[in-house]
Amino acid sequence: MFSTLSRALLSATRVAAVRPQQLLSSLCTGRSFSRSLCLLGGNPGLRQTFLHPQRGFPAVSCGCGGLHTEGDKAFAEFLKDEIKEERKIQKHKNLPKMSGGWELDINGTEAKLVRKISGEKIAVTFNTNNSIPPSFNEEPQEGQKAEENEPELVSTPNFVVEVTKLDTNHTLVLDCHYPEDEVGHGEEEEESDIFTIREVSFQPTGDTEWKENSYTLNTDSLDWALYDHLMDFLADRGVDNTFADELVELSTALEHQEYIKFLENLKDFVKC
Amino acid sequence: MSLILRNAQRAVPLRRAPLRFSLDIARSCLKVRNFDLGIICVSNARIRHINRVYRGQDSVTDVLSFPFHEDLNPSLLPIPASSDEYNLGDIYLGVEFIYQQCQKTQEDYSSILTVSHAGICAVHGLCHLLGHQHNNPEQWKQQMLEKETEILKEINRVTGSKLTPLSTNHY
Repeated sequence: MFSTLSRALLSATRVAAVRPQQLLSSLCTGRSFSRSLCLLGGNPGLRQTFLHPQRGFPAVSCGCGGLHTEGDKAFAEFLKDEIKEERKIQKHKNLPKMSGGWELDINGTEAKLVRKISGEKIAVTFNTNNSIPPSFNEEPQEGQKAEENEPELVSTPNFVVEVTKLDTNHTLVLDCHYPEDEVGHGEEEEESDIFTIREVSFQPTGDTEWKENSYTLNTDSLDWALYDHLMDFLADRGVDNTFADELVELSTALEHQEYIKFLENLKDFVKC
Repeated sequence: MSLILRNAQRAVPLRRAPLRFSLDIARSCLKVRNFDLGIICVSNARIRHINRVYRGQDSVTDVLSFPFHEDLNPSLLPIPASSDEYNLGDIYLGVEFIYQQCQKTQEDYSSILTVSHAGICAVHGLCHLLGHQHNNPEQWKQQMLEKETEILKEINRVTGSKLTPLSTNHY
């Protein structure tokens, strides 16, 4: 196990060492939004004009009272194409269903899954904001197109499981994470848990504010036997590796849906 | 020292606590509780990959062991030179394969895998980490079978199960 861990550390060091060089290329091979940034950056004429917008883009007006520049027009056109492309690659037109009788409630980027079993209510909440880890993709090999090397963007949000005993109204809260190397391409991710429990505490039922003075069990220094019991406790309530996988699929679809919505709002905002 | 359990597969459900319980009995039997040990539960694809890379066998299997120490003698415990060497190594359990084997024999997966079959495989792997082998009938009888039987007898006594060695008639 130690040898495995040290291998992981070594590979992390390697990644850290090459990252500055790879940063631009990873921007280019990311989602088409970042790809487009690279395309703009690749045109020296445009770059120069962006630095001096007052010279390149004289202001025009449509009578709405807002500032409209040629740059805004180009931006709106760009967003139109971008939205079209994103819709084309959108995997799920409707959000995928979770198995196990979970009810889904969505509020913007926040999602809540709820199920009731034998006097208990189990609620899982997550937020898709900042849930896509950076990808450390390698340079495309000879004869391989950059697009072929493009990693699929996967949303792996932290999620909070709340287990409420309905008769006593006590709520146990478990803060769960996906390991950060889960979307990597090394071998290590295939040897780690699909998700881990980071913190456990009792919190007031139904309260949205986190009570800081409740004892919080951090699993970093926890007895492994207790940790295994906590994992089994979650599995008995339907939060297991299959659930974690389905949550990734749901979160990825939701994140993409919200991304397209954001682009649409941005286009409308820029246009008028 | 620690027994670290990882469930790195999605194919089958796995209960961790009973598996750890059996392994803790095995570690006590073998007097190796002061050594670190890693148990990684993996899918068919993963164990096949490991089997191909490290043993040159392109097939799915139930258990693979990777000892930390070299030149193991089954009658002696490893002698660590430093605190970092209190490590037995890693055992990969092909739990998807074990599940499929249980289905073939019509065994109840949930009780067999967690407490029994995965435990049996892990005990077998643990014996390998300490140098027990089963390359010929004599070695099997004197090393592996004897040790496996001793450990499983203790697990059976504590848990009330009826486990038999993985390497029965196997060398």
